[in-house]
Amino acid sequence: MARTLAMFTDTSLCIGCRACQVACKQWNELGLEVPEWTGTYQNHAHFTDKTFRLVRFIEEPKPTGDLAWLLMSDVCKHCADAGCLNACPTGAIYRTQYGTVNINQDVCNGCRYCVSACPFGVVSFNESTGTAKKCTFCNDRIHNGLGPACAKACPTESIQFGFRDDLVPKAQKRVETLKAMGFKDAQLYGADSAGFLGGLNAFFLLLSKPSTYGLPDNPKLPQKNIFVDSLLSIGSALLVGLGALVAFRRRGPGGES
Amino acid sequence: MAMLQSAHWPVLIDVYFFLGGLAGGAFVIATAALLVDAVRYRDVVRVGYYLAFVALVPCPVILIVDLGVPLRFLNMVLNFNPLSPMSMGAWALLGFSTAAFLAAVMTLLEDLGKVRDLSGPKLIVGVIGGAMGFFLAAYPGVLLGATARPLWINAHVLGALFLAVGASSGAAAMALVLAVLRGRDRDGVARLGTTIVLALLIQLLAVIGFVWSVQASGSSQALKALALITSGPYSTLFWGGAIVVGSVVPLLLGLLGLKRPSVGLTAVVSVLVLVGGFLVKTLIMAAGQV
Repeated sequence: MARTLAMFTDTSLCIGCRACQVACKQWNELGLEVPEWTGTYQNHAHFTDKTFRLVRFIEEPKPTGDLAWLLMSDVCKHCADAGCLNACPTGAIYRTQYGTVNINQDVCNGCRYCVSACPFGVVSFNESTGTAKKCTFCNDRIHNGLGPACAKACPTESIQFGFRDDLVPKAQKRVETLKAMGFKDAQLYGADSAGFLGGLNAFFLLLSKPSTYGLPDNPKLPQKNIFVDSLLSIGSALLVGLGALVAFRRRGPGGES
Repeated sequence: MAMLQSAHWPVLIDVYFFLGGLAGGAFVIATAALLVDAVRYRDVVRVGYYLAFVALVPCPVILIVDLGVPLRFLNMVLNFNPLSPMSMGAWALLGFSTAAFLAAVMTLLEDLGKVRDLSGPKLIVGVIGGAMGFFLAAYPGVLLGATARPLWINAHVLGALFLAVGASSGAAAMALVLAVLRGRDRDGVARLGTTIVLALLIQLLAVIGFVWSVQASGSSQALKALALITSGPYSTLFWGGAIVVGSVVPLLLGLLGLKRPSVGLTAVVSVLVLVGGFLVKTLIMAAGQV
């Protein structure tokens, strides 16, 4: 496997211009969508089958009573332990040599299990193709030596593309700098490979706690439940099976056994 | 609030979960009867094996129709992914359907008088198929638990619950068919009545375990989804339909039937259990996907 590629989204540098969102749409030929009212400048409210990069506009009350405007360009996290990939029954979802997670559109049969299994609500179902869609990490571009369209278009370097082992120390330094500047809640999300989901190959620098951005504080790999849930099912099966045997063995209503 | 997405599986999938569970339950119960006494419970075994096969017939059709690209249904069985309950379920459906088909064919051969006694082969198919049948009944619950949907990921007993519902509905469907078609097998109906009571007890325990585990998780999103069932728009159907009419009343009537077996009473119990079992699965599916 080649060195793992990553995207580091530093939300402290995001100006909400949505160049990433537009670049993603154009490069990936994602179709038109009807805009929706979300109460902020954000459009759309969630990832869709045609929106793989989504700039979130969040207003957070400050202690002074003012509002802080938090901007975050959100994307598929390309998790090291990916719930969607584990869930896929057809093998359509696969990991590339660079560690990114992709959906083979020629294999996906549209069962939608991955849609429910993504801890971040990234994977979306496309009614017209009948398949699941999400960010491809610009698979065509990275295999031709180019960065993802979103990172390329970002005018403030809020989205940085590179090798994961180069980007993580850089991100850690940036957190220290921000903390020294007074951003006491500055933190990395998903940078730690020993942390949740084995680390995210698209990781973030946040200026507030993850839930402020609509991110789960401690996302769990759904498949971790399988072992315990299966054991409990086996327990239930044994009880039911024994119950049926007892019901047919016990002395009959007429006294016969 | 985390922004999750839902597969939005339609009610048709609930029907599949119900029929698959019913088929698995009926098959296992028929095999239990075959193990105990092949001659005495001949009718119970026959009805169980036929019913399992008939209930399975619509299952693959439902699953294929629900796919975004139905023609690619074969991709499910060109791949084997032990981490995906859906992949395992597809294999279980294939394996169990084969067993149910063989058991039904052997039963038919006996009924047509072509062969005198196939108890031996039926037992082998019954035991191997029974394991796969239980798998088919339970895996949808494990499948739901292995999603990011807050109601399901926090409830660890869905597999156990779905299996118990499969057993209760399987026994109920068998008792109902016997009661309607073969009122003379009073003993078989009575014993299926006992099986229903035992399965209902486990089912009720699992429902309590479900509510308790979701509450214990403390996840606000899970509690919000649970409230849809316990106090929100689905609460009347849940408490009135799934719990009182579909579980508690048939349990009490069933206990009454243990003392004084009655074919009519067991038939009534069976109808209530079938309705209750379907509601339990449907409401958990609906609340988990909102």
